[in-house]
Amino acid sequence: MSASPDTTRATHTAAAAVRDAAVADLLHPSARGGAPATGTVPEVPEAPGVSEVPGVPGADGRDAPHPSRRLSTGGLYLLTGLVLLLSLVASVRIGTTDVSYADVVRTAGFHLGLDVEPLPRLVDSLIWELRVPRVLMAALVGASLAVCGAALQAITRNALADPYLLGISSGASTGAVTVVVLGVGSASLGVTGGAFVGATVSFALLMLLLRKGGLDSVRVVLTGVVVSQLFTALTSLVLMASGDAEAIRAITQWLLGSMAPARWDTTAVTAVVTTVGLLVLWLSSAALDGFSFGADTASSLGVDVRTTRWTLLVVTSLMTAVAVASVGAIGFVGLIVPHGVRFLVGPLHRLLLPLSALVGAVFLVWTDALARVAFAPQEVPVGVFTALLGVPLFLLVLRRRGEL
Amino acid sequence: MRHPARFGIAALTLALTAVGCSSSGSGSASDDKAGGGRETTVTSCGRKLSFDGPPERTVALDQSSTEVLLELGLEDRMAGTSNLKTKIAPEYRTAYAKVDVLSPKILTGEQLRAATPDFTIGGFTDYFTKDRVGTREELADLGLPSFVSAVDCPKQNTAGSGTGKKTKSPFELLFQDYTDLGRIFGAEKRAAKLVKDQRATLATAAKTADKVKDEPTVVWLYSVYGDTPYVAGRSAIPSEMSRTVGAKNAFDDIDEDWPTVTWEQIAERDPDFLVIGDLSERGKPGDSAADKLKAIRANPVMSKLAAVEKKRFIEIPGTEMDPSVRTVNALPRLTSGMKDLGYVR
Repeated sequence: MSASPDTTRATHTAAAAVRDAAVADLLHPSARGGAPATGTVPEVPEAPGVSEVPGVPGADGRDAPHPSRRLSTGGLYLLTGLVLLLSLVASVRIGTTDVSYADVVRTAGFHLGLDVEPLPRLVDSLIWELRVPRVLMAALVGASLAVCGAALQAITRNALADPYLLGISSGASTGAVTVVVLGVGSASLGVTGGAFVGATVSFALLMLLLRKGGLDSVRVVLTGVVVSQLFTALTSLVLMASGDAEAIRAITQWLLGSMAPARWDTTAVTAVVTTVGLLVLWLSSAALDGFSFGADTASSLGVDVRTTRWTLLVVTSLMTAVAVASVGAIGFVGLIVPHGVRFLVGPLHRLLLPLSALVGAVFLVWTDALARVAFAPQEVPVGVFTALLGVPLFLLVLRRRGEL
Repeated sequence: MRHPARFGIAALTLALTAVGCSSSGSGSASDDKAGGGRETTVTSCGRKLSFDGPPERTVALDQSSTEVLLELGLEDRMAGTSNLKTKIAPEYRTAYAKVDVLSPKILTGEQLRAATPDFTIGGFTDYFTKDRVGTREELADLGLPSFVSAVDCPKQNTAGSGTGKKTKSPFELLFQDYTDLGRIFGAEKRAAKLVKDQRATLATAAKTADKVKDEPTVVWLYSVYGDTPYVAGRSAIPSEMSRTVGAKNAFDDIDEDWPTVTWEQIAERDPDFLVIGDLSERGKPGDSAADKLKAIRANPVMSKLAAVEKKRFIEIPGTEMDPSVRTVNALPRLTSGMKDLGYVR
């Protein structure tokens, strides 16, 4: 997983090649077959010995690019986009309280300025102020986390990277418990504000620790782990130092990741940040492609490694911070969705990022719908369900590809 | 035992309890009948609540709120209840059967709205967050007033004013809740009677204090989780109960409700006697008083305590150790237990 500094293609040892092949195996499943899918990806170092490694399949044709890939990609987008749209509409109805489509349409019509008789004020609020922003928030956070995960996996060349790798969520948790349990700034900041401040502080610390020296992946990952551990310890300390069982119960929901606090204001902020972040990351697709093969490859492609890494780290951290501050640290989405999508469309970020966003959105919309009704009349934090639902789905993808 | 008095002196008691009550009241509050067009304003934990008339569809967010409403005979004004920790007290069960249970757990914001309430009441401000029923501001914007027990915000319910501010005892805060709810629902007489009865119980218990010698120390053991005991700290209502009956809570130096301590700390304080919370209605392992006694006897440090060796225990239902309409019931149990143990002359 190291960035193999100073190792040029010519001096690649067999061992390094094996290791790089292993990384490429995880991050570039389709690259294993040899030529990459659409040809814009830099070539994998074709070192001798790769095919001799047990467990790394050779060019047996299974992973060869499909001739129809270019066509099917467009179709795949269209299909996933359509699924997302239908999911949004369908899941608005689902929750601890049943809502009819007629009521949803009536409420939406009323708020969009149509001449419709509004529902009773509280029922209207249920649909328009709680359910609708919540469903939209699930889609936005799902997209944001999946894309951040994909980008960070490339930047750090670490198949286990997820949006929380850099300690952002731990910082957010510390901020949230400080507000809820200790009551610091509970009036001015609220949980969301506190969590965002915490996330910002942890990211500032990360940047401070990284300011000198290079941004090679091992360094970034280890520093992230250190920051993450520090803030996790602080969170536990605050929780344990204050014995108020009710306050702890109140914050547990948030710590597990719950969509319940989503409102229009936070949804709007998340929408703006997610959209801008997605765009920036998508425009950096070529650089991300380069990074996933190592800093040298990126550099040889003409990427200003340091500046680009900084930019990407800041963008992914901001996206993560906003998502976590709004709805807590929802796990698993940012780790597994990118891997699943890589299996479908290959490692090219130009395709991987938008599809990860769509799949992440659909996944979280439905997971949250399930979290709302699975234990009705009680609501379960969605973070509890992401892995429960995600693991079988991921195994299904693996199985269909014959990897399991 | 809580209903010995009759309506006669209710007006006097109301006048007494209204003294030092921070809730700013206005409007005509005179009749027990649910008359329309009667405006009432009550301040609850920092929010001013206005009512055109008595609420018709109240949603209770926890058991203590449910029970106080039932005690005031308001089951017909309830649209639903939620968040039950133990069984409803036997005296309320008939009335409780008439009320919809919206959820056995903490309500979601959706469930609260779907019940189309015109009033909501909870024991803690913690219920009113965005990931639960919504903030009190949000609900107020929807025309839904939210009442929070004064016990949860003693700082906003001090007696007196200006520099002479003094925090009220948890019992006084409970009485303030009854009075405020009586005004909101136009059930002043019933509320006043409740305050009077509970005040009488309190006074009877306080008389014991004169006969108690040497201020015995007591540890209130609420529950034991994974061998970690939860005991009453200074701000929990048992601390006040101890003072009332002339005993001293051994953990009064910890200014929390239910701090977790170690068995060693309890042994160090070497209390004269122990009050064991019986939570057997909750039904989890270790909840019953017998389970707790077993844990105490099995502990090498605790088993050697004088209080344990001489079996100086008093069992009290755990539900009566938290502030609610049932809390005063613990006082006669406490005094009679202390008599049995020989602390009362």
